[in-house]
Amino acid sequence: MVLLDPTTLIDIGLIGLSGALICLAVHFIPVGGAPAAMAQATGIGTGTVELAAGSGLVGLITSSYMLHADPSASMALVMASGALGASVMLASTMLAGGFIYAYGVAVPFASAQVKKDPITGQRQDNYVSKGTQGQGIPTICFVSGVVGSGLGGAGGGLIYSVLMHYYSPLISATSAAAVAGVFTMGVFYVNSVIPSYGVGGTIEGVHDPKFRRVVPKDVFTSVVVSMLCGVVAILIAGGMTP
Amino acid sequence: MVLDLTMSMAILALLGALATIAGCLEDLESDVGSQSNPNSQVQLAPQMGFLHRIFNKAISGEPISNGMSDVTGGTVTSVLLSAKFYPLTAIVIGAFVAAILYGIYATTSYAGRVASQTRFKQPLYMDIMRYTTPSIIGHNFIVNFCLVAIAYIQYAVLGYPFSIPFLALIWGISVGAIGSSVGDVHYGGEREFQNREFGCGLNTALSGRIVRKAESGLRNSIDNVWFCAKFGGPATGIGLGLTVFFSSWRTTIWGYTWEAMGVGVIILVIMIILNRLTEISVKNAYGPYKEDKEEKEAGSVAH
Repeated sequence: MVLLDPTTLIDIGLIGLSGALICLAVHFIPVGGAPAAMAQATGIGTGTVELAAGSGLVGLITSSYMLHADPSASMALVMASGALGASVMLASTMLAGGFIYAYGVAVPFASAQVKKDPITGQRQDNYVSKGTQGQGIPTICFVSGVVGSGLGGAGGGLIYSVLMHYYSPLISATSAAAVAGVFTMGVFYVNSVIPSYGVGGTIEGVHDPKFRRVVPKDVFTSVVVSMLCGVVAILIAGGMTP
Repeated sequence: MVLDLTMSMAILALLGALATIAGCLEDLESDVGSQSNPNSQVQLAPQMGFLHRIFNKAISGEPISNGMSDVTGGTVTSVLLSAKFYPLTAIVIGAFVAAILYGIYATTSYAGRVASQTRFKQPLYMDIMRYTTPSIIGHNFIVNFCLVAIAYIQYAVLGYPFSIPFLALIWGISVGAIGSSVGDVHYGGEREFQNREFGCGLNTALSGRIVRKAESGLRNSIDNVWFCAKFGGPATGIGLGLTVFFSSWRTTIWGYTWEAMGVGVIILVIMIILNRLTEISVKNAYGPYKEDKEEKEAGSVAH
């Protein structure tokens, strides 16, 4: 049985770990959903899945290019490349979005979940305008988003790296990259959707009380589901011919 | 293909420029067609008794609809390239086919969404459909052209391991995510609610009460895109342009090393500082709203 081979088991375990990283990443990213798009809530004005997958896929492009340009690159370097690609995407998005909140909509950045920003120590509650759940992207949310997208990008880089090492000897390099890339994208979407149920569509980041409440359950679910995805990824290799 | 540093930087600049245009036009397309989160208010308005002349599309979330459009463009381009078409011609035809497909989805979703609101007496304006749909197709064509061109350059010149359709799909999803996060706030937070009090967030009590009068006559989606083109669109372009540029610039200069990763961390720190400076400036300009009770009490004791 190919599935009981120790190397294969390690690969499946690594895919499960990647899923956990992506799931954790979604909890870090300050997603405000539709209310944030109308400056009614703190965070980025879009959905969890769209944002986590959007940033993670940029990380997939950078990590895949790194592995392609230097096949001997260490797994840590590939993961770092994916992490920075995703973080740069999310930081650029949050910075440009912050400019819109500040100079287009004209609202002060404020978190509705904490009285003081844990990083800057600045009061937040008295900047929350009437009838809203905070607005804009305060420093704690920005830093949390950068860290979270980094985790997601690293997770994507890890899955791609594992699958490329598994598929490359079986099929041509171009085909291996295509299958590994599409599979990584699939795992991204699976692990972006799972936390969406936990966080209920919106979360401010690591300082949000929801974070501690839902992370353990969501991460456990993601590990199990990602390992199942890993088993499928190994099984489809059975039909691969050069 | 092995390129020297000057040529690599030239291509990187081209990619950054294409991404900036794509980001800007993607946001404007979502404004003229009214898509993503702000469209929830356009959808809600008739239920609150506010009938309007704004296009109501929302094919799906922006990343998915743009991903669909760009992967279509990338696929057609790949087919034409394998038929020995000149690359620029192949990209233009691919982008055009995808834009027409997108236009079809836009009209069916507009008709479908308005039809579902019959009970709220929201009319389906045929003139709005006639004037706005070509604008949606035009904006989407430019987005497709830019993103498929990026995918082509990455595949054919830079030697990325993924195919053109897959790269176009990823950039389509990313441009949608950025457009939805950045430019849509200008449309949803400002343009739809110019009647709210200046300098504060939107009170939930105002939900659905979108502005329906224009500078002259009744407001339509062409008026909205005119407004958002002043700030929301360009800011989205900067978001995607920075993403494309900084995701490749580090490795172009420093290679595939830990130094390049260190530079990436420095870029992130600079962005965090810029955001903090913006936060300070805007907090000083518009807040605080509530009087600080502790300070008030301390003040009364001192007196």
